[in-house]
Amino acid sequence: MKQIIAKVISNTRILKELERRRALKRPQPRDVLGSYLLWLDCPELTPKAKPGQFVMVRCGGKTILPRPFSIHQVNNKGNIALFFAVWEDGKGTNWLSQRHIGSKVELFGPLGVDFSIRSDSRNLLLVAGGIGIAPLYFLAQEAVKKTRSVTLLLGAATASQIYPKNLLPSRIKTVITTEDGSAGKKGRVIDLVPEFIDRADQVFACGPIPMYREMYLQRRKFLKNKPTQVSLETVMGCGRGVCYGCTIKTKKGLQEICRDGPIFDLDDIM
Amino acid sequence: MNFSVELAPKHPCGLLLANPVMTAAGTFGYGTEIEDEHLFDIQKLGAVVCKGTTLEPKKGNLQPRLVETASGLLNSIGLQNIGVAALIREKAPIWVKWRVPVIVNIAGETLSDYAKLAMRLDGVAGISGLEVNISCPNIKAGGAEFGANPDSAAAVTRAVRKATSLPILVKLAPNTSDISRVAVAVAEAGADAISLINTLRGMAIDIHRRRSVLGNITGGLSGPAIKPVALSMVYQVAGVVDIPVVGCGGITTAQDAIEFIMAGASAVQVGTASFANPSVFLDILKGIKQFMQKEGIKDVSEFIGVVSG
Repeated sequence: MKQIIAKVISNTRILKELERRRALKRPQPRDVLGSYLLWLDCPELTPKAKPGQFVMVRCGGKTILPRPFSIHQVNNKGNIALFFAVWEDGKGTNWLSQRHIGSKVELFGPLGVDFSIRSDSRNLLLVAGGIGIAPLYFLAQEAVKKTRSVTLLLGAATASQIYPKNLLPSRIKTVITTEDGSAGKKGRVIDLVPEFIDRADQVFACGPIPMYREMYLQRRKFLKNKPTQVSLETVMGCGRGVCYGCTIKTKKGLQEICRDGPIFDLDDIM
Repeated sequence: MNFSVELAPKHPCGLLLANPVMTAAGTFGYGTEIEDEHLFDIQKLGAVVCKGTTLEPKKGNLQPRLVETASGLLNSIGLQNIGVAALIREKAPIWVKWRVPVIVNIAGETLSDYAKLAMRLDGVAGISGLEVNISCPNIKAGGAEFGANPDSAAAVTRAVRKATSLPILVKLAPNTSDISRVAVAVAEAGADAISLINTLRGMAIDIHRRRSVLGNITGGLSGPAIKPVALSMVYQVAGVVDIPVVGCGGITTAQDAIEFIMAGASAVQVGTASFANPSVFLDILKGIKQFMQKEGIKDVSEFIGVVSG
């Protein structure tokens, strides 16, 4: 683990999400102002970073706790990318979205447990709900490097929330779905899973908890006993397993999301 | 320059710290976690205070356990810990190899819990002292109830004093009507030092869900929001007891630490600030050294309590 000050290389709003409230047709207490792709220069950190791991970022003077962000991408120039949604009342993400090129950001990591691709898994199915593409992008990149075949199911409420096509990882199959049908197939991302599950050796998912719950409750239909790993997100205190702020009950006993996760076997957390 | 401070001058063995910067209980795990991270040399700390430890392992409170507030952090961890037996078996053997003294924070629901904990830890190699937690606001029974009034605080202190030959610090709660009286009672009952303050009881509400944010409804407030409160309590207590005082509460910078020392603290504990900056302890230590250099101070003791009346 390294604690560093990283320079901002670029910080771009790649998704405008102002239409989200209308598309969801559900009462939303808060709006998402947009989603940002932030590239940081941190060569001290990249050699050890693995898909599924996260970094803790200090987000300015009005925050007390650092914020956890999945490592979204890593390149061979010593840079890492974070991909995050900015909620209108999100103090940390608002601050981070306003960092200009050349400014400095304090962070530490990489932290937590990574996704593990089994040696005998050839075909990987990645299921991303909304912002859930954040850790799966890095996983897709690494899996392709390891000559695995990757299918990414990418779902969101509406077209404006779908990760830009020209920025998607290359050499993988991507299937898009939106709840309002404004892009790709109409429906929820999870409803696409049964169509692809037979070919998959392993499933990796990142999305909201209700998505995991449904996958688990209907695992015969959705997962057909294929080993499934998911990424959990939560408020964290330390990110390093010392404060016990993010403890959850699992089938393996009490575990810290930050240290024992954020990647868990779906079976263990349900 | 001399940075060392003695936290138990009345104790036959004493509790000498190489410098006045300690970790705060519950924010640094067992200290063993940081060793794997290779982030900084833990031996450079004044002392490590480990997670509050109970007789039996404790699962802690329901989620959510943390919520950030203005300049502060509310927590309701609920003393999740591995229990004293596992601590002795798994952690103490690691601590034995350390130069930095380890102080075990102990918490109980009854007087006899405290006495039993003290007895179990007495003579365990790797443990340099005990911090008696009579101030945790997040557990149903015991904890802060003992710290709320002078008689029960003194009773716990006496029970622990009788059960161990280790130096003992007693950590006081701010949630009391007169902290000076509690401090005096604890000192008279045989405490070697007093640490203060633990978190202030607090609450936050999710207005959309119309319920408390924390699973345990209320929690303990820490961070810069409580620093002025903690500072005034340290000042107050240092003025009425003749044993060392350890300051704690929202310390984030060297300036904060120096303020506490000037108010009468012999050492400081840093907690919440280490979440955003895991190596904050060394930053604070460096800042204290620079201040002493600039001001021509040769020994930390020269400015302990200079503001005290």
